[in-house]
Formats: sequence, structure tokens, C-alpha cells
Amino acid sequence: MEWFLKNTDFVLGLTLTHLWVSLVPLGIGSLIAIALARFMPAKLVSATNGVLGALYAVPSLALFVALPAILGTSYLGPTNVLIALTLYVIASMFFSARDAFAQVPAPVVLIAKAQGLSSWQRFIHVELPLAIPGLVAGLRVAAASTVSMASIGAVVGIRNLGYLFLDGFQRKIADEIITGLFAIFLIAMTFDLLLWLIGKLLTPWSKKRVQLA
Amino acid sequence: MLSPESLWAWFTNPSSWDGRYGLWNLLLEHLTLSLVAIFLAALVALPIGILVGHLGRGQALVVGMSSVSRAIPTMGLLFALVMLFGVSFRGLAVTLALAAIAVPPILAGAYSGISAIQRSTKIAAKAQGMRPSQLIWHVELPLAANSIIGGFRIAFIQVVSTVVLAPLVGLGGLGFGIIQGLALRDFPQVTGTALVIVLLTILGDRLIGITQRHSRVSLGTSQKG
Repeated sequence: MEWFLKNTDFVLGLTLTHLWVSLVPLGIGSLIAIALARFMPAKLVSATNGVLGALYAVPSLALFVALPAILGTSYLGPTNVLIALTLYVIASMFFSARDAFAQVPAPVVLIAKAQGLSSWQRFIHVELPLAIPGLVAGLRVAAASTVSMASIGAVVGIRNLGYLFLDGFQRKIADEIITGLFAIFLIAMTFDLLLWLIGKLLTPWSKKRVQLA
Repeated sequence: MLSPESLWAWFTNPSSWDGRYGLWNLLLEHLTLSLVAIFLAALVALPIGILVGHLGRGQALVVGMSSVSRAIPTMGLLFALVMLFGVSFRGLAVTLALAAIAVPPILAGAYSGISAIQRSTKIAAKAQGMRPSQLIWHVELPLAANSIIGGFRIAFIQVVSTVVLAPLVGLGGLGFGIIQGLALRDFPQVTGTALVIVLLTILGDRLIGITQRHSRVSLGTSQKG
């Protein structure tokens, strides 16, 4: 605690980096995952499942340093980490997003079609809102693992909260490691709470349905 | 950009494979650390998960624990335990950190597999005179096998992803090639080791996946295994 109070500005700077390194992949990755899950031709689904399933298993540090050989990017710095984390978000959310769209009742979509809604209108006004509970559940899992995984980016030179582990270990300051652990835990819990709240706000009808049942 | 030739040269160089920090020895350390940790985690998590599923009590605790544990950064846990135990006991500390990472998914897999079994199936088994131990051993475990192995699969992914960081606290394992290579700017070593880790992990994941598919038990059309 004493260490943290003496170094609040330092920790705050690392926290800001940690936030954007987590939020950018979460935003881009979840949009790509939703688009893939909804618009992927049925023929390609099992191939995509295989690729994303394998990708999901790859250790993050190995992916961070394997990307430069494929993309020609520099070994150190945020680019590889941002791309790798985006890929993990896609891999983690693709399955839950497919489930979320599959659970939209077919008659509802049919009625929307009968009412003359175009396929894009059906997607925006019918399917997407009804898939929100499933999408938010998937996003909560992805958010927690992204915030945790982002700390490993410190090994390839990103100054985020993961740096507190490396620096604290080298300088033998236990408080520094504990500070990193708590800060990342708090960010993950805050994201989780916010996403839960957003899910509730975006589906005001879900409360009514519970009462009907 | 890394040339394929330099990568090939690294892979065909015997010194990349032999010796204390050669791929063979690092691979052995990597597998030993991961498997011992998963085994220790299973010793704790399987009995508890099976019991919680069987008795139908304590679910809130299991579900709560798995969602809270997701927010704990695995890298931080590794460093915190090594700090707590002292650097001279880092082997034990890393093994315990990895085991702690593997407990929640194994526990959740066992619990959710057993609690998903239909009540009618359990009642039928009891009506045939099965004792609780027989019910667990001959009915619940086979029906939950798919979900239990699924839990091990997630545990495996989490553990091998974290064991790569062990060299940062002075232990070995394949991550050593990445950490040392980055420090020495030996990029063929970094990429070569990363490729070995990627292949090894995908292979392990596939093996568990195949086992999982073969473990699926079906009780006719009324219940999906």
C-alpha cells in the first residue's frame, strides 16, 4: 500500500495504457466476431471453427512473437499485441455470438420479413437486439481474459500494468506486484459490471418477460 | 523481416536442440511443469466438483469462484507466488500457481457435467438398488465425462499459456527460447521457439478434443450426452 501511495502517478500511467491496449482489441474484435458469426456462409463455418479453436489454444506470448515473422512488424511494441488480442477476442466471441444469433426465435424473424423489413433492417432492429443477452455474456468472458492477457504484453515492451510484475520481481518489491494484481483485477471486475449494466439497459423488455413467465 | 533461411538454419543447427537450454530439455521441463500442475489441480478439483454436482449443494460457490478467478491475471499470480515463497522455492511456487490456474475450469467442468444429468436418470439408477458410490461411478461419471474432459481442455490451454512465462522468474520450459532470444535479439530463436510452442499446444488441444469426442455417451434420444 505504501509503495502504491508513493507511485500513484506511475501506476495511473500504466493503467491508462492497460485500458487502451485492452479496449481497442475488445471493440474491434467483438465487431468482427459478430459480423463473422452472423454473415459467414454456412459452408465456411466448420473451417472457421477449426481455425479459431486452434488459435484460442495458442499461448499469447508465443503469438505475440510469431506475428512479426508473418506480418513483418517489429518484435517489440504494441502492434503485435493489439493484433494478437483482437484475434483472441474473435476466437473467444465467435462461438458465443453464433449461439446468440441461433437462439433468436425463427418466427420472429419471419414476421419481420412478412412486415416488409429488408434483411439489413431485420438484422439491426430484430436479430441484434434479441441476441444481446448472449452477445453480452460472450463479451464479458472475452473482456476478462483480454484484460488479464494484456499484462503479458509487458514482456514485449508495452508499459502497462504487467510491467509492475516484471519490475517488482527484479527489484524485489512485493507491494509492486500486489498493486499490479489488484489493479488488473479491479479493471476486469469493473468491465464485467459495466458490460452487465449495458446488457440490462439495452434489453429493457427482458424484465417484463420474466414477470410474464 | 525474418528470412525463412535464417529460421531454417536455426532449426537445423544441433545446438538449438541439445544441451541445458536446447529444445529437447526445455520441452521436457515445459511438459513436466504443465502436467504436474494439471495433475495436482485435478486431485483437488475433481472430487470437489463431483461432490458438488452429486449433492447439488454449493453451486453458487463454484459458479462465483470461476467468474472471480477469470479476473485474476495469471501472470500476476505467477509472480506473486514466487515472491511469497522466495526465489529458492520458485519451482514449487510456479507449480502451485499453475495448479491454482487449472482448478476453476476442472471444477466447473466436473460440476456442470454432473448437475446437467436428468433427475429421472439418477432416480432410475437408485430404483435399481445402486448405492451412492455406484451411482457416481457407473452413471454420473460416464455421463459427465464429456464435460469433465472439456474442463481439462480449458485448464490445459490456461496452464500452457502461463508456463511460457516461467523463465521470467528463473525457471526453464520452452518460453526460455523466447525470453532469451528477445534479450539477445536472436529473432530466429524467438520465432523458432514460438513455432514449436504453437505446434505443441495445438497438438495437445487436438488430442484432448479427440478424447472428448470419444467419451460422449448417449442415452437414446431423450438425453444428449
